[in-house]
Amino acid sequence: QSSVTYIHVVPRTIKKWKCNTYSEIININMIIMNLCVDFDYLCFIIFVAAFPWFGMDIGGTLVKLVYFEPKDITAEEEQEEVENLKSIRRYLTSNTAYGTTGIRDVHLELQDLTLCGRTGNLHFIRFPTQDLPVFLQMGRDKHFSSLHTTLCATGGGAYKFEGDFRTMADLELHKLDELDCLIRGVLYIDSVMPRECYYFENPTDPERCVEKPYPLENPYPLLLVNIGSGVSFLAVYSKNNYKRVTGTSLGGGTFLGLCCLLTGCSTFEEALEMASEGESTRVDKLVRDIYGGDYERFGLPGFAVASSFGNMMSKEKRESVSKEDLARATLVTITNNIGSITRMCALNENIERVVFVGNFLRVNTLSMKLLAYAMDYWSKGQLKALFLRHEGYFGAVGALLELLHPSECL
Amino acid sequence: MDKAKSMMDKKGASGPFHVANGQRSFTSVTANGACSSNGDMHHLHRGDEPDCTGSPAKRSRLRRRTESVRRNRPPFPWFGMDIGGTLVKLVYFEPVDITAEEEQEEVENLKSIRRYLTSNVAYGKTGVRDVHLELRNLTMCGRTGNLHFIRFPTQAMHRFIQMGSDKNFSSLHTTLCATGGGAYKFENDFRTMADLELLKLDELDCLIRGLLFVDRVGFNGHPECYYFQNPSDTQNCVKRPCTLDNPFPMLLVNIGSGVSILAVHSQDNYKRVTGTSLGGGTFLGLCCLLTGCETFEEALEMASKGDSTNVDKLVKDIYGGDYERFGLQGSAVASSFGHMMCKERRDSISKEDLARATLVTITNNIGSIARMCAVNEKIERVVFVGNFLRINTVSTKLLAYAMDFWSKGQLKALFLEHEGYFGAVGALMELLKASEDL
Repeated sequence: QSSVTYIHVVPRTIKKWKCNTYSEIININMIIMNLCVDFDYLCFIIFVAAFPWFGMDIGGTLVKLVYFEPKDITAEEEQEEVENLKSIRRYLTSNTAYGTTGIRDVHLELQDLTLCGRTGNLHFIRFPTQDLPVFLQMGRDKHFSSLHTTLCATGGGAYKFEGDFRTMADLELHKLDELDCLIRGVLYIDSVMPRECYYFENPTDPERCVEKPYPLENPYPLLLVNIGSGVSFLAVYSKNNYKRVTGTSLGGGTFLGLCCLLTGCSTFEEALEMASEGESTRVDKLVRDIYGGDYERFGLPGFAVASSFGNMMSKEKRESVSKEDLARATLVTITNNIGSITRMCALNENIERVVFVGNFLRVNTLSMKLLAYAMDYWSKGQLKALFLRHEGYFGAVGALLELLHPSECL
Repeated sequence: MDKAKSMMDKKGASGPFHVANGQRSFTSVTANGACSSNGDMHHLHRGDEPDCTGSPAKRSRLRRRTESVRRNRPPFPWFGMDIGGTLVKLVYFEPVDITAEEEQEEVENLKSIRRYLTSNVAYGKTGVRDVHLELRNLTMCGRTGNLHFIRFPTQAMHRFIQMGSDKNFSSLHTTLCATGGGAYKFENDFRTMADLELLKLDELDCLIRGLLFVDRVGFNGHPECYYFQNPSDTQNCVKRPCTLDNPFPMLLVNIGSGVSILAVHSQDNYKRVTGTSLGGGTFLGLCCLLTGCETFEEALEMASKGDSTNVDKLVKDIYGGDYERFGLQGSAVASSFGHMMCKERRDSISKEDLARATLVTITNNIGSIARMCAVNEKIERVVFVGNFLRINTVSTKLLAYAMDFWSKGQLKALFLEHEGYFGAVGALMELLKASEDL
């Protein structure tokens, strides 16, 4: 059911092949190569995926969708365009919210982007993985499958929901590895967006803490920390050479899950709101609570946390803290743990630059600043924490890129 | 007669010793310098001037005292104390080779302290003596006795200090060797409330010293150290003894309220690699909040009955199976507490499930960090200590499994029976060692 239009341009000839699978593309490719050799042609092979162009990342908590809206549609193309393709385009671009939980992050839209010879806008949409069935139903209702596009999908859900896509919406997923897509997406976006990457100057000083752009040229080696429901740490040595150093299960999902349990909140935004108003030092046991001051021998300042939630074993203290304090402590605990493991990885791998991505950092300046501070402080200025504006969307971008420039074929 | 005398000489004096030529007691030679003032040393020895002629008994006492000085033994009682973030660990050496004469001479409060400690297993509302950990017939500094292991919450510290004051502990003129953060935090309280001077010692120095000592002397004829054979196999997972011969290098993971990770290359050559604030205090604090329990024992009890997979989001919950590309099994936890963002799930789990998930999350995080340190430091043996592991088989087995599984058998997790007491033992040893320096 996937379909790919394969245009072969030979001098004074344009031939089009319509392929249904990637193996067919490879076969056609061989035929063309032989033709060129036989006839001494100079061949331009343009591989064009049929619209609509989507990239999808089905994560543990959120589905991230990127959609390329072409702006250079000719009158002829428009006339030829099938009805449901037009309606999809209209639906996505004229709304910023979809159903009860879908959201288009308008501030992240990339305008006038040129991809694969077409010019258009790249849109960034997300909705909870829990609502995937609703999305599938919508795909079915709009007869998405009749468009015969390949749906490139990454993330665990691409594997978990493969069957559901097939049965509920008659769609075939082209499954891709999430970390391959992540890296591909990061490198691409950084190459087209000059101010994509940034860091915090003076992270410890709330008055003077400011975002500064960071050109990520010669990015290698890089430690990429992807903070989603869980966390993966990747050491990236070159575009095609990376390894997953380790991971931790204490990620964004832990923060949200614990917050919901401890404070009764129900969304990420609520949890962050509470955290911004709380004081974690009432909940955590600090070095000074145990030592009466610094633990000088090993350079641990009195304000460092010795035991997260350590004060909560005392009934009086439990009764004296607020929900906001608990939310703050949860945020600080998870963030600092990630920071600590990051530092160890950076040390192990001899890497000085760390890029943090993932939707845990969405609208979460508190965690970003904490990470920036922790990297700087505990490494005595050796490590630099970097952040990217498109946070959690890189996997989906990478999936879109695979659709347009399949790595197997080139 | 001679034989009796020589026996007495060997056993030495139990009371405070003082050399008449004005030399101060052993405490004056320690770097810390904490000791009671010189003047106080005299009032208990009125009339015991060396050149005073007196009864044979008096001369014997003198001989014993000079013998004691020569043997450089500190006066009883012998304590080692580790004042941690949550618990105070106390080790007490009970001499069992006290002669009739020594007993007669023994000052009243010293005797009462000995009786109080050894005839009870619980003290006040929260003090506990871990009888099963008692080291019997131990020889330390030429004396034979039993080493007792006592603990109470740091919250009860002031009550303890008050007791020391009531029992006139300061009159015994012993040095109180103390380690842990509380040795610094409560130093002044000891001074002002009970007129006691603490000899403050670093907790990690004491930890290593105490650990090596207990492993060397053994646990009443049995090995102190153990590991789990077949940790990945729940049916065949079995506890096996071992010793720490050639213990270096080792990665020492001390799990108390918080966690310290040390790379130990020799007794005096170690470094604190890193630490994590997600320790035993986090487990207990979170459990109290999430389940309403109040003690460590309750929390563990609940955890033993719960199922953390109802609370945690596993790889298979996200992938529908394994994440093969990177070798992550479906049963691995992808996101701890990851299911709890969903209301239906929150309503369907039990307190026991939450307790279990908290235990598993904290334990696995420690295991993960320990593994990274072991790889970084190129050390294969990881020793886990600290009171988080007290009566906590779930965590010890989980750590054993995690070390084995994630390192593909390269790393070995080792455990010690006296778990959280090594700092206190190390402090006691410093008390006795200081006397050897003379």
